[in-house]
Amino acid sequence: MRIGIDVGGTHTDAVVLLDDQIVTSTKALTSADVMSGVEDALDTVLGDAELDLQQVELVMIGTTQFTNAIVERRELAPTAAIRLGLPSGNELPPMIDWPEDIAEAVGRHCFMLHGGYLYDGRPLAPLDDAEIDDVIRELVARDIRNVAIAAAFSPMKPEPEVYVAERVRQAIPDANITLSHPFGRLGLVERENAAILNASLLPFADRVVASFVEAARRRGLTCPVFISQNDGTLMSAEFVREFPALTFASGPTNSLRGACRLTGLEDAIVVDIGGTTSDIGVLQNGFPRESNVVVEVGGVRTNFRMPDILAIGLGGGSLVADEGRCIGPRSVGHRLVQEGMIFGGDTLTATDVLVASGQADIGNPAAVASLDPGLVQTAQGTMHEMLDRGIDAMKPSGHAMPVILVGGGAVLVTQDLKAASESLRPEHAGVANAIGAAIAQIGGEAERMVSYRQMTRDDALASVTQDATARAVAAGADPATIRRVDIEETAIPYMDEGATRVRVKVIGEISSRRGGDK
Amino acid sequence: MNRIEAHHIDDLALGSVFLATGGGGDPHLNRIIAIETLKARGPVEILLPEELDDDAFVVPVGSVGAPTVSLELLPSMDEPRRTLEAFEKQVGRRADAVASFEIGGGNSLVPLVAAAGRGIPVVNGDGMGRAYPEAQMMTYAISGVRPTPALAFDYAGNTALFSTQSTEVYEYHIRSFAAAAGGMITVAEHAMSGAQLKQAVIPGTLSFTVELGQVLRENRGPAADILDPLKAIFEPSIYGEVRHLFSGKVIDKSTRIIGGYDIGEATLEDFDDPGQTLCLNIKNEYLLARTGDRVVASVPDLIVTVDHETSTPINCERLRYGQRVTVFAVGCPDFYRSPEALRVVSPRSFGFDLDYVPLEDIES
Repeated sequence: MRIGIDVGGTHTDAVVLLDDQIVTSTKALTSADVMSGVEDALDTVLGDAELDLQQVELVMIGTTQFTNAIVERRELAPTAAIRLGLPSGNELPPMIDWPEDIAEAVGRHCFMLHGGYLYDGRPLAPLDDAEIDDVIRELVARDIRNVAIAAAFSPMKPEPEVYVAERVRQAIPDANITLSHPFGRLGLVERENAAILNASLLPFADRVVASFVEAARRRGLTCPVFISQNDGTLMSAEFVREFPALTFASGPTNSLRGACRLTGLEDAIVVDIGGTTSDIGVLQNGFPRESNVVVEVGGVRTNFRMPDILAIGLGGGSLVADEGRCIGPRSVGHRLVQEGMIFGGDTLTATDVLVASGQADIGNPAAVASLDPGLVQTAQGTMHEMLDRGIDAMKPSGHAMPVILVGGGAVLVTQDLKAASESLRPEHAGVANAIGAAIAQIGGEAERMVSYRQMTRDDALASVTQDATARAVAAGADPATIRRVDIEETAIPYMDEGATRVRVKVIGEISSRRGGDK
Repeated sequence: MNRIEAHHIDDLALGSVFLATGGGGDPHLNRIIAIETLKARGPVEILLPEELDDDAFVVPVGSVGAPTVSLELLPSMDEPRRTLEAFEKQVGRRADAVASFEIGGGNSLVPLVAAAGRGIPVVNGDGMGRAYPEAQMMTYAISGVRPTPALAFDYAGNTALFSTQSTEVYEYHIRSFAAAAGGMITVAEHAMSGAQLKQAVIPGTLSFTVELGQVLRENRGPAADILDPLKAIFEPSIYGEVRHLFSGKVIDKSTRIIGGYDIGEATLEDFDDPGQTLCLNIKNEYLLARTGDRVVASVPDLIVTVDHETSTPINCERLRYGQRVTVFAVGCPDFYRSPEALRVVSPRSFGFDLDYVPLEDIES
């Protein structure tokens, strides 16, 4: 038995799954301290299901807290960005293209030092201990404990990052350090940005993870706690303390994966309609389609792989204006239950229009009885047009596709969507995110330097895939379900033509045999 | 348009990636450098070739190297100006204007940074009308302008001076220096008079690229919807026909850096019909597009890959397994269809055993 929990900006949802069947689910408001909301949700589902706590094998949590912290520029610790790359990139410091507000929240503690490597494995410039000492003195003087370190070509040669980290740790034993090379891909600026964002979240990650684990323990759950990451796989709680940034966009990923499980459809458009936006994503082979372009998080360029999501400003709380011809993007959000007309407020929202049309019975319908029927009809037409345009933009081809409607705002869809071959509203669609978290899989990654001169590419890929599979199995995946989801090859020029860094990622279902962290 | 201001740079950079046909590097950092430089130093005057004096001294300045390298070996703010000044010192003459090697990619921006640093104009035009991997493929070289004296400047400020008999030898030597100096260098070369430039330039491409970037920005969205706006800007221009070649998913991509170039191929599969594939051959740029044995577009015509959902052009080095893309082909300027030009830019000159067929003569 598994428990999936989704902590969203507005709601905290929980589901209990037994052999893929939903035993019970709940939807509660996210509390200001987050933890009490998680505990409430746990209480509800544990009470409802009268569970034997010993039967709960896993708790999986998806959380938007880290994304929201970046977007809202809060809970971010002052963080130093140390780049090892001089004399290249002179006068082009870290964070040069960051939005001013987030740069200020993190602080512009930027340092550029000599170091790093060239593409051919020769040093770009030697590390300079005196320079490093100066930076460490400055960190101590400014009382900065969070540090991101990025060096040129560190995915191929991480030693300079590791060396500087050791020096910093000697001087500041409680420093929280994020190195850039585990973020993998080439692109120094984007990798450095990922490391800075991650480092700035580390103290918050400590608190969040501790509170999740404590919430589970206090409710008598002794099983492992996993947290979902942006590619739809799971991380152990300990891993999240080190890499909170890998949770970015796990919300939309979980929503898409949950919709896939609820309908059994592997290829479909998923529209998650909330209070403020409709997030449109695409399922391909049961996984979210990934974005092609450099992904911005809170306005910062990063090299994370993220689901391709089109957000349009239409949700249950969206404001209706111009006789129904204009809807959103402004919304009353979670204040719908005070400000919406059907709840006694005086703001005309998308939900009020729905109730006025007679197609839903929410709140007090009498409050919208006097609305002009023409306005109601126009507004409903506008909403469906907005969704149709968005779905059309995301469709992989000209053919109509099934559309899965999830989220609390899905009730707004009352007519056929032209862009859809069919519209599905699965039961439990309101808690699709929590289901997505509960069914999340275990990933395994392996990378190795290979020479395509010494072995064929097919053999090399097969061999690295085998390593990745072994890791996934060790982490608790069922070998029979493992499949390769990503291949990344980085040519290492000149050292030997054909030398390549190959990285393979596989995923599999969690084995019924209990796995995971200790 | 008679000058480039800081607020034009985003459109110029976006348009330049489209014209780079997959090469030219990611101009993101050059874009930041150009914006910061123009903000600090003011706008740069741009001159059409005919506005230059015949005896003006024009110096092309740009980057040379493997695009993948510049993802890690970052450019420095003052590199273009220092390269130009070092060159001027060597030849003992001040430049009257800076020109661009290639309008595709970061080399559309480097000349602006050099010129702003020195307070001189930039030629509204370039030596490729797109991006190509080698110096002898430039209009300047094809028109007989000598590549040397040339000066190369590396990330650490080391310089090398070149004096060679032919462009081919020059190209080999400058590549060797680039490979030895970290993989990416800044170079001043093919210096010429205003009179020579007028015979040897693809005119108007700087202002055209700003306008192209504006079209791409204003029509951001599904690739299917951008074909008509693209036709509207390209068809009356020196380029000509625009054609949709393929939409699909990248199912394989394999490139290696060989001799300082990104070389390899990518395979795309149709969204609806896995039997339909398009194969792209890459040497820094997309050179050849084939469905099975049939060539549907080839160099010197432009092959451009864009993100299927947003129409953002994608560089070869950023193309990855699983991406969903649309491929367009665009006719090249007439300059490149002359026998002299085709000797260096036809598929055969890139080692493919086939002759160039202009895009409009290929059945679509």
